[in-house]
Amino acid sequence: MPDDPHDEFAAAVRRAGVTIPPERWEQMREAYHGMQALLKVLDDPLAYEDEPMSMPRFDAGAKP
Amino acid sequence: MSAQPLPTLAEAGRKIAAGELSPVALTEAAFARAEALNPKLDAFIEITAARARAAASRAEKEIAGGRRRGPLHGIPYGLKDIYDAAGLRTTAHSRLLLDNIATADAETTARLEAAGMILIGKLATHEFATGGPAFDLPFPPARNPWNTAHFTGGSSSGSGAAVAAGILPLAMGSDTGGSIRLPAAYCGTVGLKPTYGRVSRRGVAPLCYTLDTTGPLTWTVEDAALALQVLAGHDSLDPGSADVPVPDYCARLRDGVKGLRVGYCSAFNRDGEVDAEQTAALDQAAQALGHLGAEVTEVAIPPNAQFQAVARAISHSESFAIHAKDLRTRPELYARVTRERLMLGGFLTATQYVQAQRLRRILTRKVDALFETCDVLLTAIIPAAAPVLEETDDGPWRRQQPLASVFNVTGHPCMAQPCGFSKNGLPLSLQLVGRAFDEGTVLRAGHAYEQAAGWINNRPALATLS
Repeated sequence: MPDDPHDEFAAAVRRAGVTIPPERWEQMREAYHGMQALLKVLDDPLAYEDEPMSMPRFDAGAKP
Repeated sequence: MSAQPLPTLAEAGRKIAAGELSPVALTEAAFARAEALNPKLDAFIEITAARARAAASRAEKEIAGGRRRGPLHGIPYGLKDIYDAAGLRTTAHSRLLLDNIATADAETTARLEAAGMILIGKLATHEFATGGPAFDLPFPPARNPWNTAHFTGGSSSGSGAAVAAGILPLAMGSDTGGSIRLPAAYCGTVGLKPTYGRVSRRGVAPLCYTLDTTGPLTWTVEDAALALQVLAGHDSLDPGSADVPVPDYCARLRDGVKGLRVGYCSAFNRDGEVDAEQTAALDQAAQALGHLGAEVTEVAIPPNAQFQAVARAISHSESFAIHAKDLRTRPELYARVTRERLMLGGFLTATQYVQAQRLRRILTRKVDALFETCDVLLTAIIPAAAPVLEETDDGPWRRQQPLASVFNVTGHPCMAQPCGFSKNGLPLSLQLVGRAFDEGTVLRAGHAYEQAAGWINNRPALATLS
């Protein structure tokens, strides 16, 4: 398995704690970069008041 | 084999009430059809014959004794094998859960059982309701009854196949990014994803806590209404459940669409690379709704790329959190496609997850705003008819099915239903979307279109299955 410490994907794999077999490394690296390209839109700035969707609800309807 | 598909829920209910149909006979018809067709369709993981026969006999006695519980009493149904049913295995179509015996019913199972329905069996799914059709699992992938060489869609693959083949009039599915609506679309059935929180998820194997919904696949819109009537309702033990009143879904089902404001999202369809056949079918559906008296106007949904980013960041992050331990310690037990897609979630950052949840709220507000001038939205749910099973995308980064997750992100209720056929005889489908917790209007519009269009009169030519 490629283990270049400067490789962003290799670092992500180490952080996730998963093992990718050598024969699937390139496909997974390509998938990783495809996903990161799609998620680029999440870098667009948001206003301070734009809160996350999944906030705790302490109303009568749900038990947190 | 029973020559005819099982009757719809509505028809079976009427006949049982009139004493013209016996729950025992209906259950035996479901078994006969399953025995004949399941070897070709692989829709079932397990058929629960002894349990079903006992339940059918019990139902028959209750009904004969004047204790009919309601319109679904004595009618067969099936569960995607991520739903718990006490005493039965819930495998999630996975090697990891082959010995997982449920100790209690899922809340949804309990509601269907309390309504007197007869559980015929557990149905195939994509592993853990994600991944894709895989041939390296203990059970084969389900096949499309319209052409067994083609994909059923997923992940509620067995549910779509069993309903389309007329083995069951109702099968439960789950929908995190389209998993009820996609098999409904590809198999030519109705698939209803209720509003997030409308139907309990308790006792259903989770994939993504903040996107998961549970709901029915049926042959008709009326049947979806009948099923939702039983399934909907607050569950205080499900943290995502909403305490919102449940209306009578059949009361206004036949009110038609005269004056209903339908927002047609044709630009969204182009954004999703919908092919010419499916686009033409959607255009014709929009025209048909107009002819029925609806006011059809063009509306614009925010860019699909934003929805995709939000859906992927959230679903991958949460599903990795659920599966992290097994992915690290026994990854070989997953199918390759499941393992690789789940692993992608481990490569995301906490910041990406939070940003996705923030953008999700913005997108939800924007879709909510569309309902100030519309009562329902009409969109594509699939870009084209079902692809060949062996040609479905099995890479770690799924490139197909880009349209479905929009309303998982926003939580709005939506329903897939047939709107025609491709040149090669496979179903095409449309999606109707409503205001949060307004499934009733979605069902009303869907029923009006269904009755006018008549696609439900076409069943797969099962006799020609190869």
